[in-house]
Amino acid sequence: METKQLGGKPIEIDEDGFIQDPGSWDEAVARDLALTESVAEMTDDHWKVVNYLRQYYLQYNMAPMIRKLCKETGFKLKEIYDLFPSGPAKGACKVAGLPKPTGCV
Amino acid sequence: MDLITINRREGLAFEIRARHHAVTSDMSPGDGGADAGLAPVELLAGSLGACIAMNVQRYCEMCGHADGDVAVHLTVELADRPKRISAIVVDVELPGGVPKSRHDAVRRIAEQCVIHETLKDPPRLDVDIL
Repeated sequence: METKQLGGKPIEIDEDGFIQDPGSWDEAVARDLALTESVAEMTDDHWKVVNYLRQYYLQYNMAPMIRKLCKETGFKLKEIYDLFPSGPAKGACKVAGLPKPTGCV
Repeated sequence: MDLITINRREGLAFEIRARHHAVTSDMSPGDGGADAGLAPVELLAGSLGACIAMNVQRYCEMCGHADGDVAVHLTVELADRPKRISAIVVDVELPGGVPKSRHDAVRRIAEQCVIHETLKDPPRLDVDIL
């Protein structure tokens, strides 16, 4: 397991850059994680997705279905990918400090 | 139906041939491939998207909206043990002139495409090792 400076503090990440302890996440950490996902600036739209993912995860201990994410944030699938080029699972969930999604594509 | 043949190119890259067409499938570097083509999962989802797009485009043209293009965006959700696709999420974009009153009909048309029907009612799979 690797340790990386994120948001000005050392944080453990896995081989794909997902943080290991969701409790170590804060907005500064999210901004640094976003840079690793080709998101130069976190806009209000980025935060809308990230905050929804985070709130859902903290409530249910799992990520929401992608369709639910679209419905609750009001973004179409393509708009989510425009915000997070790696997609909702590998991109947005990483920035939101959620665990790595399962499987490969 | 014509025979579909898959032959190795190199590494994990394989060429899929049917009739006089060929496409390459490969995995991303993170999954051990060289990214020489779409991953099998992407091909499966893409196949559904293409099938839906063709059905819906034909329907739109029948309804007098021949001047616009249908587009389809998809992604998949994956699950473990066993590794599989647990959901395919599909957004269908219609030409501008198609009224909301047609959307339910478009959904039915999309869901009637061969690949959608096949995934809904999976076929018998018969694999032999030669």
